[in-house]
Amino acid sequence: MKVDRRLFVNFDWVLPTLVLLICCIGLMNLYSVGYNLPDTQGTPSYVRQSYWIVIGFMMMIVVLSVDYHFIIRYAYILYALSVGLLLVVFLYGKVAQGSQRWLLLWGFSFQPSELIKLTLIIAMARFFSDKNVSQEWGLRSLTAPLCIFLIPALLIVKQPDLGTTLFLGILFFSIIILFKIRKRLVKTAIVAGFVLVPLGWFFIKDYQRKRILTFLNPDMDPLGSGYHIIQSIIAIGSGGMLGKGYLKGTQTQLKFLPEQQTDFVFSVFAEEWGFLGVAVLLFLFFALVLWGFKIARRSRDLSGMLIAYGVTVYIFWGVFINIGMVLGILPVVGIPLPFLSYGGSSMVVLMMGVGLLMNVSMRRFVLQP
Amino acid sequence: MLGSRNSLNRHEPGNFRKKLKILAWLVMAAFALLSIRLWYLQVINGEALRQRSENNRIRVQEIKPLRGLILDTKGRILVDNQPSFDVSIIPEATKDIAAVLAKLDDLHVQSDTQRYQKVASTTTNRPFVPVKLEQNIGRDKLAVVETNSLNLPGVIIDIVPVRKYIYGPTMAHILGYVGEVSNAELVTDTYKGYKSGDIVGKYGIERYLDEYLRGKSGGEQVEVNVDGRKLKILGRVDSVPGYNVVLTIDADLQKISRDAFTGLEGVVAVMNPRDGSVLAMVSKPSFDPNLFNRGITEDNWNRLSSDSLSPMQNRMISGQYPPGSTYKLIVAAAALEEGLITEETTFTCNGTFKMGNRTFRCWKKRGHGSVNLHRAIVESCDVYFYNLGALLGVDKLAEYSRKFGLGSKTGIILPSERSGLLPTKAWKLRRFQEPWQKGETISVSIGQGFLLVTPLQLLNAYSTVANGGTLYKPRIVREIKTATGTMIKEFLPEKKGSLPFKREHIDMLREALWGVVNENHGTGRALRRPERDVSGKTGTAQVIRMPDDDEDVKSEEVRYKFRDHALFVCFAPFDDPEIAVVVIVEHGGHGGSAAAPVARKIVDWYFEHKEGEQVSEGIVG
Repeated sequence: MKVDRRLFVNFDWVLPTLVLLICCIGLMNLYSVGYNLPDTQGTPSYVRQSYWIVIGFMMMIVVLSVDYHFIIRYAYILYALSVGLLLVVFLYGKVAQGSQRWLLLWGFSFQPSELIKLTLIIAMARFFSDKNVSQEWGLRSLTAPLCIFLIPALLIVKQPDLGTTLFLGILFFSIIILFKIRKRLVKTAIVAGFVLVPLGWFFIKDYQRKRILTFLNPDMDPLGSGYHIIQSIIAIGSGGMLGKGYLKGTQTQLKFLPEQQTDFVFSVFAEEWGFLGVAVLLFLFFALVLWGFKIARRSRDLSGMLIAYGVTVYIFWGVFINIGMVLGILPVVGIPLPFLSYGGSSMVVLMMGVGLLMNVSMRRFVLQP
Repeated sequence: MLGSRNSLNRHEPGNFRKKLKILAWLVMAAFALLSIRLWYLQVINGEALRQRSENNRIRVQEIKPLRGLILDTKGRILVDNQPSFDVSIIPEATKDIAAVLAKLDDLHVQSDTQRYQKVASTTTNRPFVPVKLEQNIGRDKLAVVETNSLNLPGVIIDIVPVRKYIYGPTMAHILGYVGEVSNAELVTDTYKGYKSGDIVGKYGIERYLDEYLRGKSGGEQVEVNVDGRKLKILGRVDSVPGYNVVLTIDADLQKISRDAFTGLEGVVAVMNPRDGSVLAMVSKPSFDPNLFNRGITEDNWNRLSSDSLSPMQNRMISGQYPPGSTYKLIVAAAALEEGLITEETTFTCNGTFKMGNRTFRCWKKRGHGSVNLHRAIVESCDVYFYNLGALLGVDKLAEYSRKFGLGSKTGIILPSERSGLLPTKAWKLRRFQEPWQKGETISVSIGQGFLLVTPLQLLNAYSTVANGGTLYKPRIVREIKTATGTMIKEFLPEKKGSLPFKREHIDMLREALWGVVNENHGTGRALRRPERDVSGKTGTAQVIRMPDDDEDVKSEEVRYKFRDHALFVCFAPFDDPEIAVVVIVEHGGHGGSAAAPVARKIVDWYFEHKEGEQVSEGIVG
């Protein structure tokens, strides 16, 4: 197989460097989280996370080495496969903490709802890539992409995992807004939103309702659902300008802060490193997202642009929703912080996403065979 | 391939570029929003939130000091500390408070309907501070809670030392009791530095010497985790146990005194006349100070406080009685010193004494005939003393009474002492806006009328005569020492004054008091021991004036509360007395028949026991 020299010339070193830096911060942070845990818990999470990072980087290389046009060609198959996995989860998945989200594969827990985030982006990129971009989109012409979103969304909301469902919806809309939507559809959607949101109130679970109420007023239930957010704000704020010092976050080390490895991992970092440390981390994320936008803008064709843009908003929304949540400006929904939260599925899928970004980035000047 | 057909350049690339640019700006705005929020939390509110995180993790726990012990004169422990077990809950350490409380109820650790409310209201103000659920659970319940501790997250057991009054009601009035400091007390200067919930002395020695007994609190700064579990002690200042108080009380003599007084109300006290030390002090009815230990129950409190016999009053210092005939000693001393009479002066008693249009009677209706001072005291002739009173006047009586320590507080180290009442002409004018009536002096001269003394004043006055004329300040605390034995404060015998009397007058009085017990017509014959060593004086104090014409009424038949108080004061041995005893039997009738036998038991026991002790010491030696 002949490999184009320009693939190496245009290899994007910025992206993996940024990701690696963020991953290192994440590992260091996870070490702090596990610092005061008793030794009886088996392999520490930072060690296991480093395995996932290694696996993730390998997957990234796999993904970037296959031309993204090839991936686009098989987009629907990839999409169908991950929906199939969601179905398996629906039928045979492992139940933990009241919801059925995991598949047990060779002793590993795997979350297909993470994978679908990526394949949804690919499938939508595929759908729009061979359409006339200047056309206006109405409800009928959008039926196919709506179905692409709704099928996995329904399966995930059944798990139940409201956070991921919402996240898929946000991804869907983020992609849709790139195109011209008929004004009438926009109006209808807004009206429908006003009707459906109060209606939805009656369909969500009690704990979800409570979370939303708590978001509006955390002091309403300081020991119940408000506890998480109050302790998170205390942790972050008490970090101050310079932080309490690595491994010295009292909220973290004394376990006042809940879900430290996953949803509230940012609070740990903010407590120990303060505003300055957080500024560095935020800057890295910001650079990563802007770099993604740059790749999207400079990509060679619509499919590349859609993939790059999709992956970038995927990372952006993860960062924004998670940090917004731990800062108390968004309600508590279980969205992990990209590259920092502990979790194999999320890490590997993100790395594959980064692989796609690099894929698009390095092939922007390559002539199509 | 697909790409070539849909390259951006062919399909209005500018459209997407513009949108992407706008979206990038929105992303920037989003990051700016996060940064602003972070700045707000970490820089603007950083200090306040750091404080909150400190409150989360650092708890300062008071280490309560052990209260000092109270010992008797021979070093026997009268008040000890013993552990009591409290159940508390740290609300934040348990997910479901209601479930844990229900579980406690299942285990029959007593239920309280308002407990959940209490727990819930406490959590918001002071996080991670244990809320007390039940205090003083017994050892059975303690075992149940301990074995189920895994099912009771957040439930902790505190060990709290509580007072143990070993002799129970026997010494209640001396030792007093303890309780939580009240809000009213907290605002006063006396209780500066005390906190709500602190245990303080409420009565007796516990109250009077609280500052010595309480000790100093220590503190421990501990780091706790989310379960409230102590992880690390950051700093510690040990508490200093309270000082031990050694009394002059002899626990054995105290017990014997109380036993001798079984079934009676009033007071018994024993003093060493050589230095004013109180060896025993019984006031009845009494109460059990242990009832107050962990907060007295409402039932018990109502019972004690509404009892018409006032069991909580220490009659020895707060009870005021007419001294009756025991006062005659002082009247006689005054008359001798004033030169109004000599040993030989006689008055004729025919059973009555007229003053103006009033007639005063002698207790002996037939009269004593011609009596001198000695016989007047021995047989307690009222008429003789009516004459002395008339000669002296009430102001002179008061003046001499003061020399014996009456009419003012003795200054004993016990709270709520009263001063008695020495009526004078000026006093009556002030008090009633009425002039003094001469007849009232006649009543006072036999210890009736307005005159009131506390039993301790009376005992101290007789001790003064017993020791030949030195008035001591009654002493009940001998010393205050640290737990390790270092002397903090020593209470040496303290002279308040001496009787400026002629020696022969005092001897004359002492001989007369000896005669009261040991001569054939003496009123205190019940104390006549084979050794003939006791001297004393009986008294019968009228509670209300009986109608003059109502004859032959035996005091036993008079309704209880109108019955006379029976008094007896004595000291022994005659040469160089060692003990003085006062007995007042409320509504007991005649001093000679009701009070003297009680004193007899005590005096007998004292000398038997004293000899026994000397013998056993001899054997050991």
